[in-house]
Amino acid sequence: MTGVTLGTEAWKDIDPATEALLDKWLVAQGDTVRAGQALANAVLVKSNLEIVAPSAGRIAQILVPAGQTFARGKPVALLQEVA
Amino acid sequence: MLGCSQRLQREAAQQRLKGRAELLVRESGGGAVLTGPWLVAVSVVLPPGHPWLAGGLLESYRQLGQLHGAALAAFGIAARALAPQELPRVQQAIGVRPVDWACFGSLSPWEVVSADGRKLVGLAQRRRQSGVLLVAGTLLDVPDWPLLCDALGQSQEAQLLRQRTVSGAELAQRQIPPEQFAEVLTQGLEHALT
Repeated sequence: MTGVTLGTEAWKDIDPATEALLDKWLVAQGDTVRAGQALANAVLVKSNLEIVAPSAGRIAQILVPAGQTFARGKPVALLQEVA
Repeated sequence: MLGCSQRLQREAAQQRLKGRAELLVRESGGGAVLTGPWLVAVSVVLPPGHPWLAGGLLESYRQLGQLHGAALAAFGIAARALAPQELPRVQQAIGVRPVDWACFGSLSPWEVVSADGRKLVGLAQRRRQSGVLLVAGTLLDVPDWPLLCDALGQSQEAQLLRQRTVSGAELAQRQIPPEQFAEVLTQGLEHALT
């Protein structure tokens, strides 16, 4: 199982106390996704960003629903990788 | 115009507006903006790998904010893009609480302010794997703050927005023609991006 996170480059130079907002999910729990597919949009410092799948697989669990905030490095979903 | 994370407020805002203005939801972050002849808005689309994108979100904001500061200086307006480390001090110096639902009601890194910290340029962006959209809006005149506040159900906050912002016309003590400001911005962007 792999945690899906907002890429570390998005957090560069951002105050460590700042959280991102999970704006919108583009997939649902149980969906099959491909590597690099946009899974959700997040807002950080007035920037609308993509959260992408790190590998192909199935969305096993959404951990952060739309409308909630999350901290740097926190997984927003769990991805069950496929061989 | 609502920010992307305000889309759930669209229906209620539409009802409050009662046809007094058109309502849109933009795809970038940030709070609500009232567009009109008082605002010059810029949209810059950059391809992946562009130098303005290499340093992260804040570096892109720095480039766009400083370019706007230079454009305002061309009209004799003293304004500067606010470095992240200056934010806490300036927020405190303003002495008026932020209005977070409005773009111009709070400050983010590299947005452009007057010497006393009042905001006149707001920034936002949208990043996709295919490219990046940077947007900015400059207050050349005073917007109809009561209309914006009424649309968002926050009628009591118009005075706060008035206190936290300043327009180019107020700083220059004369009207700045929007088309002239847009021309200077365009030239600056062409110089910086090519």
